[in-house]
Amino acid sequence: MASIRAENLVKRYGNVRAVHGIDFDIADGEFVAILGPSGCGKSSTMRMIAGLETISEGSIYFDGKRINDVRARDRNVAMSFESYALYPTITIYENIAFPLRSAGMENGEIDRRVRDIAEKMELVPLLGLKPHGLSSGQAQRVGLARALVRKPAVFLLDEPISHLDTRQRYRMRRFIKSLHQEFSYTMIYVTHDQEEALALADRVIVMSDGEIQQMDVPDEVYARPRNAFVAGFVGEPPINFLDCTVKDDASGWSIEIQGQKLALPQRLHETAQRIGSGGLAAIRPHFLSIGAQSPLTLQGRVFLTEELQDQNLIFVDVGEARLTLVAHPTIVPQRGEAVPVSIDPDQLLLFPAAELSKAEVPDL
Amino acid sequence: MYELQAVHKRYGLSKVALRKIDLEVREREFLVIYGPAGAGKSTILNILAGITRPTSGEVLRDGVSILRVPPEKRDAAMAFENYALYSHISVGENLAFPLKARGMNRAEIEARVKRVSGILGIGHLLDRRPGFLSGGQRQRVALGRAIIRPADIYLLDEPVGHLDAKLRHRIRAELKALAADLSATVVFTTTSSREALALGDRVVVLNTGRIEQAGTPAEVYHRPANAFVASFVGDPPMSFITVLPRKGEGRVSFVTGDGMPVASLPAAALERLREEESSTLQVGFRSNEVRLAGPGDPGTLRGTVNVVENLGYVKIALVGIGADQVSVSVPAGTPLAVGETVAITFPRDAVHLFQNARAVSHAAPLAGA
Repeated sequence: MASIRAENLVKRYGNVRAVHGIDFDIADGEFVAILGPSGCGKSSTMRMIAGLETISEGSIYFDGKRINDVRARDRNVAMSFESYALYPTITIYENIAFPLRSAGMENGEIDRRVRDIAEKMELVPLLGLKPHGLSSGQAQRVGLARALVRKPAVFLLDEPISHLDTRQRYRMRRFIKSLHQEFSYTMIYVTHDQEEALALADRVIVMSDGEIQQMDVPDEVYARPRNAFVAGFVGEPPINFLDCTVKDDASGWSIEIQGQKLALPQRLHETAQRIGSGGLAAIRPHFLSIGAQSPLTLQGRVFLTEELQDQNLIFVDVGEARLTLVAHPTIVPQRGEAVPVSIDPDQLLLFPAAELSKAEVPDL
Repeated sequence: MYELQAVHKRYGLSKVALRKIDLEVREREFLVIYGPAGAGKSTILNILAGITRPTSGEVLRDGVSILRVPPEKRDAAMAFENYALYSHISVGENLAFPLKARGMNRAEIEARVKRVSGILGIGHLLDRRPGFLSGGQRQRVALGRAIIRPADIYLLDEPVGHLDAKLRHRIRAELKALAADLSATVVFTTTSSREALALGDRVVVLNTGRIEQAGTPAEVYHRPANAFVASFVGDPPMSFITVLPRKGEGRVSFVTGDGMPVASLPAAALERLREEESSTLQVGFRSNEVRLAGPGDPGTLRGTVNVVENLGYVKIALVGIGADQVSVSVPAGTPLAVGETVAITFPRDAVHLFQNARAVSHAAPLAGA
């Protein structure tokens, strides 16, 4: 196990800068997720930690020791990649045992470790098979088992579960989390899936455009996003963004959304003053409700209701904007029905309008 | 209406994709086929399209066999997970292609390309070639090419699986609204529980080539036929506690292996409970049917917090009760530590009961909780 520190870390591919000089500290035994869309620099960062990419500028330290010039295989870093390349000609057992055999471990210990990990990952019935007939989920579990069997100092996971179905995702997520709790590996999990990042990690590093946008515990990243990018990338269903005009007139601070004027809560006056007239209001679907119970109420028209049984997702058009809100399963408004939508004043966020372009996540 | 009757599909000698399934696709319905990877979802679409022939069984369109009707005469519009776009022509031309092939006039083609590309957010890509697009963009073009034309049936194979969360949500709603507006017959496959429940007029739960249950979203969610459906539909999945029956006056109670009472149901609700030797009984809960107990709550179950997952708006605690694990939804901000002992509670008579994985009785859907 090891602590990890990055200082002014830069990755350049020719003239293209993939990582723009980032700093972070990861404590020994901590579980950190690096979250961001494709092209944000998260995989480059991970590959520099692993030693699969040279470090263009800056330094990485394991337990205070600079490892820029330490070869990948001497870093005791384990990895599980999305492309779980298994050796096709040998059994699952031998695939998992492979890194131990390469390290010259004696057979009895290899057998003990392989069976132990196979049991924990529900792979025992597969040990005698070859990779050929495995489902993709099984192949992924074998890939993970092979990475974990070495008991590495740092364990890097690169989106190993994003393709699985709902039930398997929960199963794998809980498995990974309990592994971390059991063995206290220092773990870094790279993903574009915000739910996985929040669910798994002690802290989340949100990246875009090669920079760290926020590094914090999941509650903070969710409730107090530092900018519109973080607000938009974290949260399911995704946060609602509304262009607005910020005004300070006789009746005090207000915002105008699609021609509808709302008084701005006291807490946001300072923000309003700072950002000037062009604003971007943001509110999570869980903090909107049908009805006029809030002083902040917009008039809209129902586009569609999705009945998810445990909750309903209601899409409401407010002028040109479309809001998503989460409602109790008994609330099923008609398509086209005019409805008031209440905003929880404590949960409204306000960003400068200029941040909208950054919040538009590029296509995967 | 399309019908599959006892359709069996085997690839090679041993790989069975579908095991004698009966399935109907009703006129103008949005049918979701939901199952894990390898369940046979794509095979059903390919058989409906005529691309794949069943090993045995019958495929009917309005009561008439279409087994011998080639794909090009079936009028099915398909979107594959792996795109299959024409690489030598632009996105706009890819979208227009099925319309030109039908001899539609230019103004109508332009109007449709505009509408569909707007819905899918690819209006700015119309002049590009598919090779210059990202995976998610190509997937939307493939979906657009399928839904742009009138068709007897739309077959959409995980058409939004490669999109990021924001787009997936938006397009999901647009697709559902579009299908309703056009009164289209749609068959849609997915591995996401939320997607299945959100989109389907009916949901077919498929597992290893068998239909586990077909029903409305409410039926498969609130009245799962068996433990597989119960654990596969819903996000987070249903959790189970293995119990033993204790017969009493007009009621049966269920206790854990070490005697903790879990649930109690009126004997009348247990008509489907069979007298079987070695039968395994399980009580199932959804995470939002369970809550952490406060002081004074009667009849609680004590367990240890094994995992806490933070989903932002809610936390999901995995609580170990004996050898079983129960998911409990906990409000965000609730302090909860791994290893902590907690008590959980739920309405005693509102549980799902399974005998050898077969459903015996169900909880009533939540009202006002």
